[in-house]
Amino acid sequence: MEGPRGGGQSVHRTQTLNALSYRFALCTDDARLGRHLDALFAGLRDHDGGVADHWYSLATKADDTVDVTRDGAMLARGVTAADAVGWVVWHVNRSAVEAGDHHLLLHAGALQADSRAVVLPGVSGSGKSTLCAGLAQAGLAYLSDELVALDLSTDQVLPYPKPVTVKAGSFEALADVGLRPHGDGDPDAGRWLGEEWQLAVGDGTGLRVGRSCPPGFVVVPRYVEGAVTSLSGLSDTEAFFALAANAVNLRAHAVRSTDALGRAVARCRCMALTFSDLDEACRLVGGLVGHLAVGRAG
Amino acid sequence: MRRAGTSAVELDDNLALYDDVGQLLILLNWAAAAVWELCDGSTTVEDMARSLSETHDATPDVVGEDVRQTVRKLAELGLVEDAAGVRPA
Repeated sequence: MEGPRGGGQSVHRTQTLNALSYRFALCTDDARLGRHLDALFAGLRDHDGGVADHWYSLATKADDTVDVTRDGAMLARGVTAADAVGWVVWHVNRSAVEAGDHHLLLHAGALQADSRAVVLPGVSGSGKSTLCAGLAQAGLAYLSDELVALDLSTDQVLPYPKPVTVKAGSFEALADVGLRPHGDGDPDAGRWLGEEWQLAVGDGTGLRVGRSCPPGFVVVPRYVEGAVTSLSGLSDTEAFFALAANAVNLRAHAVRSTDALGRAVARCRCMALTFSDLDEACRLVGGLVGHLAVGRAG
Repeated sequence: MRRAGTSAVELDDNLALYDDVGQLLILLNWAAAAVWELCDGSTTVEDMARSLSETHDATPDVVGEDVRQTVRKLAELGLVEDAAGVRPA
């Protein structure tokens, strides 16, 4: 699809971005917002030279609010720049679920340690995004913080390196390990920082992106305020059901899904992580996966 | 007999069954899994009880009642059906 037409005052367009085969691009009439989007979505750049099938447009108004449209259809009207970015991240994620439906999709984060994936299944609030950010900051390669795609033909975890989205409750813990949201420190920082932080990943961010790899570890995180941070073993049965309970489209693939999850837990070391201390959690997971560089930050 | 469209994944001593028809994911412990495995369309409940009593050091009478209850439950869940096409009572 060509870029948006008609009435457009776009001064900035991203290159084509690819979220599990959902190819899209972003345009805006605000150059600074454009540069912010460019950096934020760097991890999703389509290196195959694909053409965008969908266009998001972020149009700023005189009162500094933003209208967000996709292919001309309104998604959000008159929101702050931070919320506009949040809308795009959310909508891209939803669209990636639809585009990636031929894979088994899990509510999970994932990182690459050497040639194996560490899969972190969990519902919203389990701390998986915060843990992903911490582990990526500590040196593991980032694959996703929210949606893991397991290729049913190859049993590989596929990268979906969206910006890491973390909620206000995690800001302090992330700052303690040296992570700040993209745009923090800019003159425009106030425009980008809302109730959620978006952390950029990929080139130039310090958070490197991983590649497709088979799962080697399943770690089920659970954030519990004040709890002693600890790892404990999970049986294959417990790990299997932790993955199945967080599967987005188990029914769509039926037998192939459960067979794939069975193979995954059979080849993985499976653990439960209860944590309240991000730094200690990263140290424990780093030790588990044999990534000795993971340790106390700073 | 085991209904077609059901897949099994061995996990520890358990068996996870996915029923493609009912779209259920069910965990069977080793004992229920053993009964499910024996539901091949030709093995009777009495044969199952005899076979399981030999491997689990219990009398066929005791095992037989457990087998009947398990088969009944598996049928309720739609995981087995009578070989003649009628669900066991």
